[in-house]
Amino acid sequence: MNSSSAILPAGVADDLELIAEMTADFARSRDIEESLRVGLQHIASRMEADAASLFLMDEGELVCRACFGPADVTGLRLPHGQGIVWRAVMRNRPQLVRDVATDPDFAHMVDQVTGFSTRSILCAPMSVRDECVGAIELFNKKGGQSFDDDDRRILQALAASAALALINARHAAAMAEQEAFRRELALAADIQRAMLPAAKPADFPIHGVNLPARGVSGDFFDVVELADGRLAFAIADVSGKGMNAALLMAKTASLFRCLAKRLDGPGALLAAIDAELAETGSAGMFVTMVAGVLDPATGQVVLANAGHEPPLMWREGAVERVEGGMPPLGIDPTLFLGGCPESRIDLRGGALYLFTDGLTEARLNGGMLGSEGVEDLLARHHDLPAPERLEAVIADVAQDGLALRDDLTMLVVEGRPMSSNALDRLFPARPERLCDIRHAVAETASRLGCPEPLVNDVVLAVDEACQNIIRHAYGGTGGDIVVQLGREDQRLVVRLIDFAAPVDRAKICSRALDDIRPGGLGTHLMRSIMDEVAFVPPPPGAGNMLQMVKRIGEP
Amino acid sequence: MNIETHNHGETVVVALSGEIDLQHSPSVRRQLMELMFERRDVLVDLARVAYIDSSGIASLVEAYQMARKNTTRFVLVAVSQPVLRVLQLARLDKVFTLADTVDAALAG
Repeated sequence: MNSSSAILPAGVADDLELIAEMTADFARSRDIEESLRVGLQHIASRMEADAASLFLMDEGELVCRACFGPADVTGLRLPHGQGIVWRAVMRNRPQLVRDVATDPDFAHMVDQVTGFSTRSILCAPMSVRDECVGAIELFNKKGGQSFDDDDRRILQALAASAALALINARHAAAMAEQEAFRRELALAADIQRAMLPAAKPADFPIHGVNLPARGVSGDFFDVVELADGRLAFAIADVSGKGMNAALLMAKTASLFRCLAKRLDGPGALLAAIDAELAETGSAGMFVTMVAGVLDPATGQVVLANAGHEPPLMWREGAVERVEGGMPPLGIDPTLFLGGCPESRIDLRGGALYLFTDGLTEARLNGGMLGSEGVEDLLARHHDLPAPERLEAVIADVAQDGLALRDDLTMLVVEGRPMSSNALDRLFPARPERLCDIRHAVAETASRLGCPEPLVNDVVLAVDEACQNIIRHAYGGTGGDIVVQLGREDQRLVVRLIDFAAPVDRAKICSRALDDIRPGGLGTHLMRSIMDEVAFVPPPPGAGNMLQMVKRIGEP
Repeated sequence: MNIETHNHGETVVVALSGEIDLQHSPSVRRQLMELMFERRDVLVDLARVAYIDSSGIASLVEAYQMARKNTTRFVLVAVSQPVLRVLQLARLDKVFTLADTVDAALAG
């Protein structure tokens, strides 16, 4: 600026400096109003005006937002088309009125109210190209003379730069607001994550995962422990995506949490949530939801479905869809007046999978996964412990770097009774899986304080018992074995549960030792190693349970 | 599980290694039966067998019985501790002919 002041006429250099100063004011200040007032003051002094007003466009009217001089008309609204200010704006050209007495557009009303005596007016639109944001009006040049054409050109330039500065400041404010919105969205996502139940230990019967496609999710799942030890669970998918879906999800989740403990049964629960959503819901939004109650002691589940994908019931390698149910929640308050039907499932020895369409509609190998694809994934991973199983399925459909098309939520409910066993795991009854069983048993037996040479013997006994299940109980048709291993005082207790037809115990006995045909050798090894080998009554739903006990430590 | 065979004149040495369980014993059995049908003298080197179950033992028993019928030799060599434990539990350690090394068995 110093170098330019040497070549430019003094007045022009001053004007440039004023423009630069105003732009800097706007950029620096968070308060646009304050910047306008300061800017107007600068302009009025530079132009040697007795008074000045700055008008901004607001919903089709011009509103005075800053004043300088003896009369303050801040807040004055000029309806469309009135006065010299509107003329400047509509023509998008400065208006120079040397004597207001001769101008029919001059509004004498203002002078009458303020007591100010207007002689001449110079008014320039605040516009950049065709965008007009307001106008600056100057009154009465100091010293009694009128504004002139030079003044008109200068004010035109100053008003244009004020407009530019204002537009920039507004953009900056909008960006800041957008940034604040992004931060709020991230905060909302955090709150939502906190609403999901925390990860449970592997032997807990219900596990879930939620993977939002965006920051916030329209899905949720929850598990609530009821006073009598039963577990209420739910999975839901709110129509739509983004913030409004997330808010409706939060509301549904809160209703579930609150009502699950008070109402008996998932049917009544869904009906109550529907009534609440229908009463206060927003048009066009609805919720699909499955709610259920598991009794972990008996493995019995009661389910109710409101428009959600049918859950899948897995048992012994076969998958069955749990069909039936009502329309989604929040559509019509009369739909659930008659209640909501419930289905009862015996979950012992099986697992129930609930998921949102983010899973069935996930892209895999170029196509949609579909419910058969889900069944394939479950079959592939079904021998993993529940939390790992869910992770494995999710990892298959949400591969790194691929954005999810929809929120993805999945819940597994297992029918096995919770146990205090150190090992309690389901294995496929197949020869090639015996090695996994041996490793699991060896690792657990050592951990339980079984002395090393005995570990190998116990592993052999369990292996032989599993072979009997594979070869005799299932007869090569395949199935599952639940291997349980625990320590009860000085006793290492192994329980092997199968889901085959009950075996004829008369056929399971050691052969005489001089008969070295292979058949009875395994059973002989089991009896030689273990202190007790006996079939005991199996848990409901299972086929057989073999219990083997080995005393360890002091006899 | 791995099976290697080496010829030492008329005698075949079958060296087994790894875990011989229900999954792998059928291939052990196939290999041994093949040699039994050829009426070969067989030494089974068990030094590197970490685990054997009743199905693996059964394959050895079946081969032993055929060898006895054929009057060919069938010797278990360098029996590892896990295998010896199972033979003892099955009380078969006195039934099979055992040798400490392949050389000792060949010399015998």
